[in-house]
Amino acid sequence: MKSNNQLKDYLLYSHNSAFMKIIRLLLILLSCSVMTAGQVVTQDDSIRTVVLQEVAVSAKQKNQQQNLYNFFSTNKAATTEDILGRFPELSLVRRGSYGMEPTIRSFNSSQVNLLIDGMRIHGACTDKMDPASIYIEPINLNSIEVNTGGRDFLNGSSIGGNINMKLAEANCHEQPVLNGAVNSGFHSAANTFYQSLSVDYAGSRWGLRASGTYRKSGDYRDGSGKTVSFSQYEKVNYSINGKLVLSDRSYLKIDLLADDGWNMGYAALPMDVGYANARIGAVSVIKEDPSARWEKLEAKLYANKIKHFMDDTDRPNVTIHMDMPGESITTGFYAEGTKKARRGKLSLRADASATTLKASMTMHQPGQSPMYMLTWPDNRQVQSGVAAQYAMRIDSITQLILNARTDISAYSLTSQMGKDQLAVFNYTDDNNHFYIPSISMQVSRRLIGKLKAALSVGINGRSPSASELFGFYLFNQFDGYDYIGKPTLEQETGMLTDLTLSYQQQKWKAQATAYVSRVKNYIIGRLTPDFSAMTIGAKGVKQYANIDHAVLAGAEASLVYEPSTKTQFVTTVKYAFGNDDLGKPLPMITPLRNISTLRQFFGNLWLQGEAEFAATQNRVSKVADEKATGSFALYHFRAGYKQKVKNLDCQLNAGIENIFDVHYREHLDWGNIARPGRNLYLQLGFAF
Amino acid sequence: MKKYFSFLLFLFIGVTSCTKSNIESEQPLPYQKIVEGYVTGAAVKVELFAKQGLTTGYNTIYIALFDSVSKQPIENAMVTIFPVMDMVTKKHSAPVENQGTTAKNKLFTSAIVFTMPSGSMGTWTVDVNVQYEGKQGKTSLPVTVLESAKSRLKSFVSKADNSKFFVALIQPDDPKVGVNDLELAVYKSKSMMDFPADSSLAISLTPEMPTMGHGSPNNIDPIHTTKGHYKGKVNFTMTGLWYLNLDFNAGTAVADSSTYFELNF
Repeated sequence: MKSNNQLKDYLLYSHNSAFMKIIRLLLILLSCSVMTAGQVVTQDDSIRTVVLQEVAVSAKQKNQQQNLYNFFSTNKAATTEDILGRFPELSLVRRGSYGMEPTIRSFNSSQVNLLIDGMRIHGACTDKMDPASIYIEPINLNSIEVNTGGRDFLNGSSIGGNINMKLAEANCHEQPVLNGAVNSGFHSAANTFYQSLSVDYAGSRWGLRASGTYRKSGDYRDGSGKTVSFSQYEKVNYSINGKLVLSDRSYLKIDLLADDGWNMGYAALPMDVGYANARIGAVSVIKEDPSARWEKLEAKLYANKIKHFMDDTDRPNVTIHMDMPGESITTGFYAEGTKKARRGKLSLRADASATTLKASMTMHQPGQSPMYMLTWPDNRQVQSGVAAQYAMRIDSITQLILNARTDISAYSLTSQMGKDQLAVFNYTDDNNHFYIPSISMQVSRRLIGKLKAALSVGINGRSPSASELFGFYLFNQFDGYDYIGKPTLEQETGMLTDLTLSYQQQKWKAQATAYVSRVKNYIIGRLTPDFSAMTIGAKGVKQYANIDHAVLAGAEASLVYEPSTKTQFVTTVKYAFGNDDLGKPLPMITPLRNISTLRQFFGNLWLQGEAEFAATQNRVSKVADEKATGSFALYHFRAGYKQKVKNLDCQLNAGIENIFDVHYREHLDWGNIARPGRNLYLQLGFAF
Repeated sequence: MKKYFSFLLFLFIGVTSCTKSNIESEQPLPYQKIVEGYVTGAAVKVELFAKQGLTTGYNTIYIALFDSVSKQPIENAMVTIFPVMDMVTKKHSAPVENQGTTAKNKLFTSAIVFTMPSGSMGTWTVDVNVQYEGKQGKTSLPVTVLESAKSRLKSFVSKADNSKFFVALIQPDDPKVGVNDLELAVYKSKSMMDFPADSSLAISLTPEMPTMGHGSPNNIDPIHTTKGHYKGKVNFTMTGLWYLNLDFNAGTAVADSSTYFELNF
């Protein structure tokens, strides 16, 4: 167990909050399970033990993901987006410095479920400026779980997979403990300032955790020294988590989260965001009993309301000013349980949610009636699904995971004006039902020594999104067309397979995955030359349509090398490829990309060098008028220092990002907007 | 006890007031009375109604006739109306539609397309001719026509044959976002007193939002139905100011391509 202790040591510098403690313990356990497969771990804290055992059993395939998450979340100055962007499976679509949209393996956001603690949250912005990930600050993030397409769809059916961001939780402790943390930071490229605070009380019967973050950022400076106008933002985020012990094995959990952003610029879009509010709440009852037949049972009721107000008030040379408010309300529940089954475990889940959306556009011209229309004709989506996952051990080296899920999703228009608008396109049937079955099988087997292979095959699907069904002249700055929905769209059905090879030992943890998906009825905008564009300056109108199929394929690999407890080297590489049914490239496909990081500890100090490479992307979609993106190389330097002063954990993080002030943009960045240039940052944190 | 009594009283008032409102609930005419007079020759009292006051453009006129003796409403009679504008130095009429001889809901229906408002230029009268139970008579009723706040009437001189046409917009009267019925009435100006309905022109429609420079999809060009009325569909994708651009063709020749109605809603 010596290596475990060493691991514990190196993680000590980051144990400033409760979730880090959990992560630390998780990592210890994971490494333990790797080295001594099957060895029973005992801990004195019962709740933690439960968490650990759950992960130990169900997360074999997530080892590498956890390794990477732990590694990258060590940088306390990193935002949630910074952490997301480091996952080899994920890419970020950028429209502004705020609200980058995470996607999995070049599947777009409609094809991916982005969940917060298993909750569905639908953005209120027709231009996807508000992915749910903006509501999670590192201070209230416990962990990120990425499930690619066919691996695990307990949480919901999708084509591309799901990203579940788990919220930090309060703890209970026999001896009441009060913990707290304060973090402040500054970034020079945009004069960003942030301040976060968390207080954690762990009592014997109940626990309460409260956290808040404030961020203010000005316009950033790009690599050519130019200030990028409309890239500022300001926001506050608050969250409260309460835990009440109901019995030895069960507890009640309450989550309340509020996020208010204002004055947010979107440099790549013609409009900015005046304000965006989110109110998210959930009540859960959880029963955990490793000795019982049902090891874990959880039921959750949740509701969230998102408001988003887009306008172009501050933009110069606007002929007619435009307001575009939107609102999304979702209520839902899920119940899930994991029970012991023959040679393994069976997880069951049932969930349902209802989302109502409305968004409109108003333009004001003196002397005329206001120009008003519904950009999302008022609509409701009711989704419900049941899912099962059976993980079983065939023999000592072979494991089988079977996944099945079926979803029924129904959309309806809820206002007469909405129906009247779509009648313009001769659509009278406003009731759309989709029945989506998903099934997958994954076999993993130890081949030779510590080399393991996992092969999965599956069929999945998704219903079209509200924008794809009902969108009404939604301007898409990416290709310059107004988009209209098509209520008669068919659902997308994916057939996918992926193969993962992993090699894990104490010093080397390597994993490589190749995947290919064939998506039938792939939804994409198709030019409708007869229609005239609504937006001034738009090139024309595109309507969402099913093309026969699209093929998305790619590979990702990662390597974690720890020659000693003092040195860590992490490198990830990914490549993706997408073609439509005519063999033409799909838009928004990440080019070959690599991130390599070397971290060295010197006692309480660590230093880190980081290199990012992206290849040229010349495979661009002509139809979408997509531009090629050149290659670039970025170098970052980071450092962290931790010192315990009496009972106070003090830590300092500092670094220089984009040291050589490279003027660049990523392929998934909208508009021809360069990313920030050289950035010096400083972060200071205290925890008790 | 007092409370109980008050409650009973309250209940009683409630019931009686409900009863009262039930009695009064008979629907009044949804139209506004414009003018009334007597057609002495036919021994008939005549009342003219319209949806609102008369304005330039197409006005449906509802005519109620009453037997002067029995005071009863008349359901069968031959009634025609004829508008006359007296401009002191000259007189002219306007396009008019006279429907029939049978009243519907005790009202005869006609229509007048007023081509100018009343005012210092001149005054409008409506001549009413009635044949009822073998008797015939005529009366002239003065009416006031206001300039329509909405754009409802256009005229053009055909490039094909130099004749003058009047085009009245009947529908949409209350436009909404979505699909709207479109109805136009076209009249030829044959003389100062004769404006026959015209069905010779082909009309094509292009809605336009002038501020934004865009149109709308899937409109249906109005085609002639009856008595110079053309019907089609017009789609609006949002509220605001819209132009209904109209092209008129006489056979292969362009009659006019500069006419448009403005709708601001």
